Amino acid sequence: MTQAPNTQALDEHMKEMVLALHAAVNRAMPHLKDDPKLVDQALRDCEEILDVVLEGNVSEWLAR
Amino acid sequence: MDKPFTDKLEASDVPKMEAEYQDLLKRVLAIQADCEIGGPHLYVRTILPTAPSKVDQLIVARTAAEEADHYRKVARLAGEVGLDLSHILSRPNQERYVNAFRGTITSWEEFAVFGFLIDRVGRYQLEEFIGCSFAPLDRILPDVIVEERAHIEYGQNKTAEFAARGGASKEKIQRVVNAWYAKALDMFGNSNSRRSERYRHWGLKRRTNTQARQEYIREVNPLIEAMGLSVPDPNVGREFV
Repeated sequence: MTQAPNTQALDEHMKEMVLALHAAVNRAMPHLKDDPKLVDQALRDCEEILDVVLEGNVSEWLAR
Repeated sequence: MDKPFTDKLEASDVPKMEAEYQDLLKRVLAIQADCEIGGPHLYVRTILPTAPSKVDQLIVARTAAEEADHYRKVARLAGEVGLDLSHILSRPNQERYVNAFRGTITSWEEFAVFGFLIDRVGRYQLEEFIGCSFAPLDRILPDVIVEERAHIEYGQNKTAEFAARGGASKEKIQRVVNAWYAKALDMFGNSNSRRSERYRHWGLKRRTNTQARQEYIREVNPLIEAMGLSVPDPNVGREFV
């Protein structure tokens, strides 16, 4: 049985997006009280990344 | 019944297995991946922007990140046995395998109860695979289950907070618990499922649908009562029994 096409590439791309999400959350958490702009930016980043994940346009991701 | 299968397989062993094993393994991986990404599809676009505080918004984002990562891990395993699950990422909610993932979560109360009740079923489903015959699946479980436990705890705490406020808040959370309790019990599947027996035969699951559902009921009912809420009638709103 051969591996499905793009298994490795999709895994790596997803991993990057998940890491970016965690980075945004971790950047904001310590600054909830002292830096609302930073928190708002992190939340916008999360929404943007999650939009891409949920759109799931895999062929476009892998063509980059 | 023929002798249960007890070997431990790697992805490279799967092509040598009977077609039934390959089919069941691929099916269970597809359903698991579908449920993992199905959660964020239910709540990210509606709840992330509207959660009651910034910290809650960040927790929603972190929860979605963890579920997306669970999807990634399961889809990777499926890919290694020749099954491409990339299309599941963008599948419309109405086409999800499991009924609980076919709608949209539109209130913070629903998000709380989803964590409390539905992520708990998710934990049960993952626990089915502990020690399973497909060793790569067994190996990803510890980290995934730890994260699911955190989602459950958060949802449970938020549900308890709504109940503790009393009045209209308690009435609303009771209605939400009633609706999701039925969906949670249905997630365990049909009590007379032949496929459930074959999963057990091949060492892909440990319990029958009925056993897992009963264990869930024994765990969750006291938690609902401890919040001062009523345990819903287990026969109301059900698709499967």
